[in-house]
Amino acid sequence: MRRSTTLRLAATAVLAGLAATACGTGSADDPANAGQTSQAAEPAAIDSGATVDVRLVLEPTSLDIASTAGAALDQVLLDNIYQGLLTRDEDNKIRPSLATKYEESSDGLTYTFHLAEDATFHDGTKVTAADAVWSLQQVTAKGSKNPDAAALASVKSVSASDDHTVVVKLKHRDTGFTWGLTGRAGVVFEKGTDFSSLAGKENGTGPFKLSGWKRGSSITFVRNDAYWGTKAKVAKVVFHYIKDDNSANNAQQTGQTDIETAAQADLLQPFSDKSKYTVLRGDTTDKFTLALNNASGPTKDVRVRRAIRQAIDNAGLIKTLGGAAKEVGGPVPATDPGYEDLTSIDAYDPDSAKKLLKQAGYGDGLKLTVKIPNIYPTEIGDYLASELKQVGIQLTVRQVEFQTWLDAVYTKHDYQLSLVDHAEARDLYNFADPDYYFGYDNADVQKWYGEAQTASSDSQRDALLKKAARQVSEDAAADWLFVSQTLTVVRSGVTGVPRNFTSNRYSLADLAVAKK
Amino acid sequence: MKFSRAVRALLRSRSGFAGSVLVGLLVLSALVSLVWTPYDPTLARPQDSWLLPFSGGHVLGTDRLGRDELSQLLTGARSTLSTALLAAAIAAAVGLALAFAAVLTPRRLGAVVVQLTDVLIAFPVLLIAMILTAVHGGSTWTVVTAIGVGAGVNLARVARAEAGRVLGTDYVLAAHAAGSGTWRTVRKHLLPNIAPTLIVQLSLVLSVAVLAEAALSYLGFGTPAPAVSWGRMLQEQQQYVTARPLLVIWPGLAVAASVLGFNLLGDGLREATDARLRVREVAA
Amino acid sequence: MTLYLLRRAGLLVVSLLAASVLIFLVLRLLPGDVAQTIGGIRATPAQVAAVRHDLGLDRPLAAQYGSWIGGVVTGDFGRSVLDGTSVSGQLAEKFAVTGPLAVGAIVLALAFAVPLGVLAAVRRDSRLGSAVNALGQLGIALPTLWVGLLLVVVFAVQVRWLPAQGFPVDGWDEPGQAVKSLVLPWLTLALAEGAVLLRFVRSAVLDVLHQDWLRTARAKGRTRTSALVRHGLRNAAVPVVSVLGLQIAALIAGAVVVEQVFVLPGVGQMLITDVGNRDLDKVQGEILLLTGAVLVIGFLVDLAHRLIDPRLRSAV
Repeated sequence: MRRSTTLRLAATAVLAGLAATACGTGSADDPANAGQTSQAAEPAAIDSGATVDVRLVLEPTSLDIASTAGAALDQVLLDNIYQGLLTRDEDNKIRPSLATKYEESSDGLTYTFHLAEDATFHDGTKVTAADAVWSLQQVTAKGSKNPDAAALASVKSVSASDDHTVVVKLKHRDTGFTWGLTGRAGVVFEKGTDFSSLAGKENGTGPFKLSGWKRGSSITFVRNDAYWGTKAKVAKVVFHYIKDDNSANNAQQTGQTDIETAAQADLLQPFSDKSKYTVLRGDTTDKFTLALNNASGPTKDVRVRRAIRQAIDNAGLIKTLGGAAKEVGGPVPATDPGYEDLTSIDAYDPDSAKKLLKQAGYGDGLKLTVKIPNIYPTEIGDYLASELKQVGIQLTVRQVEFQTWLDAVYTKHDYQLSLVDHAEARDLYNFADPDYYFGYDNADVQKWYGEAQTASSDSQRDALLKKAARQVSEDAAADWLFVSQTLTVVRSGVTGVPRNFTSNRYSLADLAVAKK
Repeated sequence: MKFSRAVRALLRSRSGFAGSVLVGLLVLSALVSLVWTPYDPTLARPQDSWLLPFSGGHVLGTDRLGRDELSQLLTGARSTLSTALLAAAIAAAVGLALAFAAVLTPRRLGAVVVQLTDVLIAFPVLLIAMILTAVHGGSTWTVVTAIGVGAGVNLARVARAEAGRVLGTDYVLAAHAAGSGTWRTVRKHLLPNIAPTLIVQLSLVLSVAVLAEAALSYLGFGTPAPAVSWGRMLQEQQQYVTARPLLVIWPGLAVAASVLGFNLLGDGLREATDARLRVREVAA
Repeated sequence: MTLYLLRRAGLLVVSLLAASVLIFLVLRLLPGDVAQTIGGIRATPAQVAAVRHDLGLDRPLAAQYGSWIGGVVTGDFGRSVLDGTSVSGQLAEKFAVTGPLAVGAIVLALAFAVPLGVLAAVRRDSRLGSAVNALGQLGIALPTLWVGLLLVVVFAVQVRWLPAQGFPVDGWDEPGQAVKSLVLPWLTLALAEGAVLLRFVRSAVLDVLHQDWLRTARAKGRTRTSALVRHGLRNAAVPVVSVLGLQIAALIAGAVVVEQVFVLPGVGQMLITDVGNRDLDKVQGEILLLTGAVLVIGFLVDLAHRLIDPRLRSAV
């Protein structure tokens, strides 16, 4: 079962959220205090004709959600235009969507999904079980191009027992199956859809319809007035793709946008007036991972890997990047199953790092190179070089284009150190796959991870994942620098704004604007 | 003898003097940084992040990572100087080779060279840089090659136009008719006559190289860490320009001063080497 | 002249072909491909191979080049592999931003560079001439992106006269807004280009000022100004026109930076995005069109040379 992770192509987005003042003086705009986790309740009178302008960062490369990968497509299209059988909520909990309810057999091998009876596609056709069966079969078919095909690898068969009931049989228990359905793999298309026709248009089932796409600039959605569920509360949403944070701030200040996602923590001063703006602080699963080649080079030696981890002060890095991030210490972020605080493993200790290097035979110094895609701020590389210099490692920072990174590091495993944002939730499997570019090969971890997949309960699964994650961290399979948080600036009067995981999903279902 | 006279002529001209001072400062900063800087320019100290000038012993303050601004400025002079000189050397080699190949080779071959130059000019430098970066990763050599080749083909075109003009003048035609060989013509007539234009052009290449390094760094294709570069300082700080403009102003000024220095020096050199001007000045 | 024109046009066609081969091959040197972009990082090698096959990326290079250039000859510059939009359509759309940016900047640059350059040369020994020359020097020396940043700080953040960055969502349907958002980019780009032009104008005029025939003209009783206008400017124009031709390519590079600083959805931004996505079919079409434009301008510059400088007319 080969799986790999989705890396965010434009993690500039994420780092935007990671920004940074920290004047060190603890001023009023200290980003560590910036952002709240609750927002105003929906006002009594809402303006159902409102247009909401939203700043996003990364534009999709195509709208063909069935075969083109990329978090940017998921972000705008899932839940809004296209819907799966299931979806996830603001806390990454699994929730019903086109399937209003589902049952799991006691042996965990059969799932029965009941579709909403009145659901329709945007072209007016009714959604039936045949559409859902066909869609799932396209994913599981041999040669499928669905980027998430691996999520349904455990599926044995899919069938319709009546017009609105879908039965899925699994080859074995799979604790990740329903999660898989909340993503790309679970999207329901009209039976017989030619996916290549979806590059620039859509025929989804969601509460919004695509009305226009100005490449390089914006995508516009309008409310689907024939929507089968609770209709959207705003008439139109325009996503503006603005990469630069200062421009995004300007757009928000001048009212060109109502919502600014991925705002930069140390540039929030213009939004300090609480009567005009709310700043939301949300979680992400963006793990900034310093990969240490476990399979070859000096980092094959666990002592060198541990020394590198101990040499880097993650708290200092978070501080310089603005404080909108958390230390993690292991491969599982707090919002995923199997999390525990592992920050005490190989905590910052440069003296111990020097000793470890000496034991490993590098007492006279060591030269290493880190490859970093040029979409991330160069300061991270500068910081790593500075920290490693203190323990006698001379680090050369090589910035490469993301595609070059994919080719050299990800595919050919040609690297010593590498830094990438592993953005996907629940991606511990990368450490259970010795062929992955980390090159981490531990039979126990692979066994525990496999058992977790087929566990009979969530608590059993979580215990196994915890055990595996701890082992991975103790082996210093990589250094997890931090998990970032994301800030959203909202104009007052706008409610129901997504707060967590905003670069992966951006559901507009609750979005509302108060009547003036 | 001739050299010292040229230096005196250079320093006598106002722009030559100013240019020499600015370039001298650049060279001095680069040299000083080799032996001494107030702090390690690459040392990140999160607790000292964004100190104001004259606080905590940092004359020009610190940046986001708590690195000393002055130390970075001094050290950055090294990248600037080496980028500029190497790029100019490449540009001169590429430019002169193409220009002479165009005007001195048999007509058909020359025409091919002219066309090749034009095709190359039409290639944006940025694209060359992107491709080199993608293939080799960002490095000083990538930047230098991209700028050198990009500027070189431009230089070739101007040099060719000038060479064409000079070769068409009566005295060259006369010299040729009198049996002067090709290389003699080049040495005696062509080079001295296109030299003023070439020097102006090369001084421009030096300054263009400094500017291009800043621009490439800004777009993420520039000099990588641990080397310190003004371009990268600008790129890293530009986001905070509204909150902390000083940190953007220093490297910007440093770049501007270097570019200005190279340009003024070029002007001064031009005046010093241009016989016609010198005669006129003496006469005046 | 007609013969020359024919030969020169023939050369232009050959250059365009050479450029197309160069572009095609150079782009194939880039590591990674669009199939990986489409398939994403989770795609298995088999999935990526299937995508490559569907797109015809596994065909021999010669065949790929042939089908591309075949389309170009019939006016079809290709389509984006990713979203299926046509290259010419997309380029036209983006040129609605970059075109006015570049043309406006060069017009603005010429408007102040030519008179100031002549002034700086004619009055080179006066205080005014030195001041103008110093200003020009400064203009060249200031990094474009830095000037852009400072203009934003002053005009958009401090006094709030102009938008800092971006282009109106509806583009030229909001002409007032569109022009407003181009003012700072125009200034930034024109300063950089104009300062370079000023230097060349000055240097070219200085050159002709010391030519013997100008002295002759003066000796024949013309005033300095009249001699300069009658004979000098025409001769000074030779190097200036040649530089102007060069500036077009520089302008495109400058526009890329300025588009980044001011976040304008123009050609430069599109190119950077497309190269990043390895949408090579689109990139090669875009670059060929841009390169073609520069080559055609070069052709026109050569013609202009001949018209200005009679000595060249008989040379070839």
